[in-house]
Amino acid sequence: MQEPTSASTLIHQKPVTADLHGFDDLRHVIEHAAHFLPAQGPITVFVHHNTLHAFEHLPFDEGVKVGGKLFGCNAYLPEERYREKLERGRIRVEDLVAVLLHDLGEEANLEIGAFGTRFALRLAMLQFPLRTGSGTELRWMIAETDALRRFRDEVPVETRDKMVDRTRHWALQELQQGKAKNGTEKESGLFADILNSFESHTMESWSEQTWEAFVLNSLWQVCYDGVKSIKNSVVETPSTDVVMKRHRDLLLEVTQEDTDVLVHEILIRVCSSFLDQGFADWKVPNASGGLYGLFLNLYGKSFASPTRWLRQIHTEVQRLAESNIGPLESIEESLRLLGIKNSGREEFLTHSLLALRGWAGMVWQMETNAEWAPHPAPAGSLVEFLAVRLILDRLAIAHVSRESLEFTGSLDQIRDEASGRVHKEHSNGVEQRAFIVFQLAQVCGWNPQDLESLSHDEWATLSKEIATFSAMERRRIYHLAFERKYRNETLDGVILHSKRHQNSASTIRPEYQVVCCIDEREESFRRHLEECDPTSETFGFAGFYGVIMYYRGAADAHFTPLCPVNLTPKHYVVEEPLYSLAQAERRRAETRRRIGQATHQAHRGTRTFAGGLLAGLFGSFAAFPLVARILFPRTTAQIRRQFEGIVHTPGTELRLERTESEPGRGNGHIGYSVDEMAGIVEGSLRAMGLSKSESFSRLLVICGHGSSSLNNPHEAAHDCGACGGGRGGPNARAFAQMANDPRVRNILKDRDLIIPDATYIIGGYHNTCDDSMTWYDLDRIPVQHRELFETARANIDEARKRSSHERCRRFQSASLSQSTDEALRHVEGRAEDLSQTRPEYGHATNALCFVGRREWSRGLFLDRRAFLTSYNPTLDNENSSTLEGLLQAVIPVCAGINLEYYFSYVDPIGYGCGTKLPHNITSLLGVMDGAASDLRPGLPWQMVEIHEPVRLLFVIESTPEAMRRIIADNAAIAQLVNGDWVQLAVFDAQTSRVQRYVSGEFEEYDLSPGELPIRESSIDWYRSCRDHLGFASIASNSNELAGQA
Amino acid sequence: MTSELLFNILGITIVASPAALLAVFSLASLAGRPLGERSMARFTETAVVLGLLSSLVILGMMLVLDRRHVPIEIGNWVVIPDQHFHFHLKLVFDRLSVPFVVLTFILCGTVGAFTSRYLHREPGYGRFFVLYALFLLGMVISSLAGTIETLFLGWELVGLSSALLVAFFHERQNPVRNGQRVWSVYRIADAAFLIAALALHHLTGAGDFEGLMGTGPWPDGHATISQSHALFVGLLLLVAAAGKSALVPFSGWLPRAMEGPTPSSAVFYGALSVHLGAFLLLRVSPILEQSLTLRIAVITLGLVSAIFGTLTARVQTDIKSALAFASLTQVGIIVAEIGFGLRYIALIHIVGHACLRTLQLLRAPSLLHDYHTLENAIGSHLPQGTSTWDRLVPVRTRAWLYRFSMERGYLDVILDEYIVRPFVAVFRWSDSMERRWTAWLSGSDEKGSDEVPPNTSSVEDLV
Repeated sequence: MQEPTSASTLIHQKPVTADLHGFDDLRHVIEHAAHFLPAQGPITVFVHHNTLHAFEHLPFDEGVKVGGKLFGCNAYLPEERYREKLERGRIRVEDLVAVLLHDLGEEANLEIGAFGTRFALRLAMLQFPLRTGSGTELRWMIAETDALRRFRDEVPVETRDKMVDRTRHWALQELQQGKAKNGTEKESGLFADILNSFESHTMESWSEQTWEAFVLNSLWQVCYDGVKSIKNSVVETPSTDVVMKRHRDLLLEVTQEDTDVLVHEILIRVCSSFLDQGFADWKVPNASGGLYGLFLNLYGKSFASPTRWLRQIHTEVQRLAESNIGPLESIEESLRLLGIKNSGREEFLTHSLLALRGWAGMVWQMETNAEWAPHPAPAGSLVEFLAVRLILDRLAIAHVSRESLEFTGSLDQIRDEASGRVHKEHSNGVEQRAFIVFQLAQVCGWNPQDLESLSHDEWATLSKEIATFSAMERRRIYHLAFERKYRNETLDGVILHSKRHQNSASTIRPEYQVVCCIDEREESFRRHLEECDPTSETFGFAGFYGVIMYYRGAADAHFTPLCPVNLTPKHYVVEEPLYSLAQAERRRAETRRRIGQATHQAHRGTRTFAGGLLAGLFGSFAAFPLVARILFPRTTAQIRRQFEGIVHTPGTELRLERTESEPGRGNGHIGYSVDEMAGIVEGSLRAMGLSKSESFSRLLVICGHGSSSLNNPHEAAHDCGACGGGRGGPNARAFAQMANDPRVRNILKDRDLIIPDATYIIGGYHNTCDDSMTWYDLDRIPVQHRELFETARANIDEARKRSSHERCRRFQSASLSQSTDEALRHVEGRAEDLSQTRPEYGHATNALCFVGRREWSRGLFLDRRAFLTSYNPTLDNENSSTLEGLLQAVIPVCAGINLEYYFSYVDPIGYGCGTKLPHNITSLLGVMDGAASDLRPGLPWQMVEIHEPVRLLFVIESTPEAMRRIIADNAAIAQLVNGDWVQLAVFDAQTSRVQRYVSGEFEEYDLSPGELPIRESSIDWYRSCRDHLGFASIASNSNELAGQA
Repeated sequence: MTSELLFNILGITIVASPAALLAVFSLASLAGRPLGERSMARFTETAVVLGLLSSLVILGMMLVLDRRHVPIEIGNWVVIPDQHFHFHLKLVFDRLSVPFVVLTFILCGTVGAFTSRYLHREPGYGRFFVLYALFLLGMVISSLAGTIETLFLGWELVGLSSALLVAFFHERQNPVRNGQRVWSVYRIADAAFLIAALALHHLTGAGDFEGLMGTGPWPDGHATISQSHALFVGLLLLVAAAGKSALVPFSGWLPRAMEGPTPSSAVFYGALSVHLGAFLLLRVSPILEQSLTLRIAVITLGLVSAIFGTLTARVQTDIKSALAFASLTQVGIIVAEIGFGLRYIALIHIVGHACLRTLQLLRAPSLLHDYHTLENAIGSHLPQGTSTWDRLVPVRTRAWLYRFSMERGYLDVILDEYIVRPFVAVFRWSDSMERRWTAWLSGSDEKGSDEVPPNTSSVEDLV
């Protein structure tokens, strides 16, 4: 290979004036490729996305296949996992039958030669595990295991006996006749060989085992010969779309040397320094020069290249710097040098970006979507990233091919050179295919003598038939069957439960009402509250409660957006100490600041020379917190909180009303106008179905939620999705304050929404990790409401205790026999425990989303698997605009959560971020595996391990017409619903009728036969059970309600 | 009961409890009946508490009886009189070993409790605890070693378990590669150690530290070997210590060791393993006194490592590497302290630094949480960069230093290029010569079996 310097002379001859049009093209190609990069931004603000968002325009089954191929990830679970589910009853044979029949449609009854219908064949392939392996492995299995002596265990006894009998009958007759005639017919030639290996003269006295072995031997021989006789081209689907390999893949195959190791080592360091949000003590020199400039600057340093590889980079970087080659120009040049033709450009660039997709994605996110970060990346950073990557790529390729391949030609020939040296050892797959037929023959009872008489064409048909039902297809069917079981159970549960409770629906006014987020983690909380106190009523509404704001707490440094990610707030809200405490608070803030600065100094100081020396000498004292925090996390946390209380702001209020006309962050601009407040309150109350004055109780609790845990880089992933990965307490507080404002109520009165004067609204915050409840502005509760509040608080406390108990059943380290008090202590300990990798399970197991009145789902045990959105169709207009507004947010948000869990579960390494244990926080942006690796977006295994990957099932209380209209008018909903990224059904509460949305049509759902169990309380149903639980009616509340009525 | 007997019983208990732990864990796995998570955690707890209590009782007795040196003989395990070889196991309790063994038990115990929750439901749970027991045993033996061969035994166990823990996630490439790197560096250190041990045996007739240091208990001993011998043995031991403690030029492995689960990184590379080299130097510190050259070498190596560490730590953008280099800085300082003869300070420094670093590494995943809290307290983004530094050093030098630190002083690449490459090349060449030779002898071509690529196709895709 010529030295890079000689390549440079070649470039100098090229006119330096760049072809601008070409660059536009290139930029466009790169931007297109960027869509495939992970869309996760900095981990501190964790927003759940559909991992395959880039493929959402395709139908689900197509999208997971195409996406899986591009990323090298699983589309569904591995086949054996589905088989486990089949064995454990999470998939039933009847589900397989139903799904397969639906999938095949008219082709189900297609006869495949003499082998029965296509349906029967496929069902057999699904029902029985077909083992396979490499040719060598199969040969070993044939030779060394009893594969040819014993039928497989799954084969029914009758089938086996029948096969053995028939063969015996036939063998005794035919072969002996043949022997008598002394004929050497062709067809018996094969059996003759086998017979010879068994002692054929004693045939009459063979034992049962010998006959079994004889049948299997003949069967294998027949299958093998039959399969061998057909050409490969018949069964192998011609793979026209050969994945274009990067040079690296070919070199890796030929030399076992991975150029990416060389490239990534440098690239990871450069990227993490460039993107660092303030962790490292030294800032990158010349960071303003962009990623490309940074790279040229750092690697162009003289006296800094002690090895050959680094010297090559140095030479090349100097050349680039001297001839003033920009990033786009450099990409052009790299592509040309690597010999990438125009047609293959996009694919090559995509694969080059995806080779280090975590970092590339983060560069793109920091460039396009992180203006709020301390150090966002300048525009064009991804292009610069790619330029650096390709420069390093080609240098590494040249380096490796010179060192290990001893190839010194020009770079663009390397691919041909390497492909020429690739070991072409493609097995023809005869063993594999024969072994499949062999196994199928056993379970289906195909006799060897019948198979033997098959024609060439019939063998071809069979092989082709088997080949078309590939592993991917089988997994697809399994998956559908898996979803079907849970979907049917759900719909049955909903129908039966709603029928049961149709008549007992109460008309009495509830004592108090609680509004929670739609989050499925609040399901158990609401259910237990309704159980504790049947006179309460609960609602579900997206946890930002319509308050779209930038919020800064009294002890916070910055404003945080608290609203769904697709919205940008215009309003600012701050929390301030109570006016009377302002003076004292200033002193406290100063103390906090001093302590903070000292802590920060100490934190960084321990990593320096002198500071570390000092800290090291007195470090023995660290042993006390070390031991205490690990052995007694809960107690230590309590003590720590005592100390923190000294500098904690005791009383605060929200500054919610602005005095100036324009919203903003300046003095007087903070907050909302009264009109805006009225708008927010009206929108949210109407949407959740609270618009009639008689439906209000005397106390309305608005409850935001969030989660806090220690030692958990993914902490933000447990926060409220509707608040854009923030904590929704302030939203609830703001909403309550707005709705209590008499001026707001007056405005609403004019709009025909009357909040009774007797109704008081209070905000709260539910921490889903330690199940604690924080109340806001208690001092303001009117005296006549206090007793009611005390009752409500007592019941809510009991409910959260019980809810934590229900959560604990999923934690293997929590005893199943503990009391509710112990359960609460257990979850409190979890939140404070440094060694706890599962502070909570977050959204794991989410599978359902109900949109409708609580009446029909109240008392139905949903196992914390359902998002619950309150919506009252009787109050909606004929256009269902309220529903439309709700679904515009609910469907994409819930689908995003559900699909992220789906993908992180089906491929925890590729789509998820693997196990948490070696995670290493880098650049304050994300986590790497261990010392240095690609950034790992997605969810860690510890968060998803109990998940069941099913697509979210929406059950919406509405009519098919209304839904059709909404789907037609909303492209985002249509894409998800029509592409089958979510499942959809509409429900009529009056008639308990369910209609499913199947390929664009609403189909009547028929109730499956069966009963819905009834239990006294939730705990009776879930007690001493760790696994997923089915549905049940919890009877206590309805009976009591009925009794009271 | 005489105090001698009690000392003996307690001393043996301290070593026997981790040994029993290891035996129980590995035999259970060997017998095909691996223990459950809970029972493993309980066994670990028992072993550590037993060991810790015994060492505390010994400490108490030593204080009460005013004994500064308690040797416990376990006898010669291998004796080959003709070759003048004997493998002599002996434990010593003195002012160096007792604090070190107490530290070991406290840190290992805490991390054991931490890990039993951290690794809950992890497939490698059992494997981790087997390696943990191995490590604990190694650390205890090293701390208490009274002869150089005993120390070597513990040293090897620590090395083995450390390297395997780095490669804990063996389904990924990087941990295995880095584990192998750690292992290779350890082997170099081991080789130096072994030669030093042999030399000591040769010089003094035994590996007993007592014989070597004269009669005074640590740290008052005086070496009985000559200056040149001390320099020779001391330099070898310095190489061994440098490898184990990741001093320059072996520093590259320390950040790479952060591949395992967080608690193993914390206690093994952040706290205990990395101090073992310094401990070795402390143990043989009387030798250092014999030779000024040796002391200068120790001080220089320590300071160079410390400066290297503090520079490199400043550019690290990930928490674990930053802490690894911060550890290196302190270890470098500790080594320098030993060179200066400040033995008590060095010991206090080791203990303090180990505790502090363990806490910091265990809390490493809390970084974002902590930073958020700090930002809120201060009321702005955290200040970054030191202004004095910016003022004093010109931009060009800063950029150069940045690059130098970012590349971690080029230590790894230099080792690879100028040591490993020629080394491998020589062996490849010898291998090819051997092949030719055998081919010529047998009159046939080279065997093709070496060329068969591993079968990597996934079973899923075959059907």
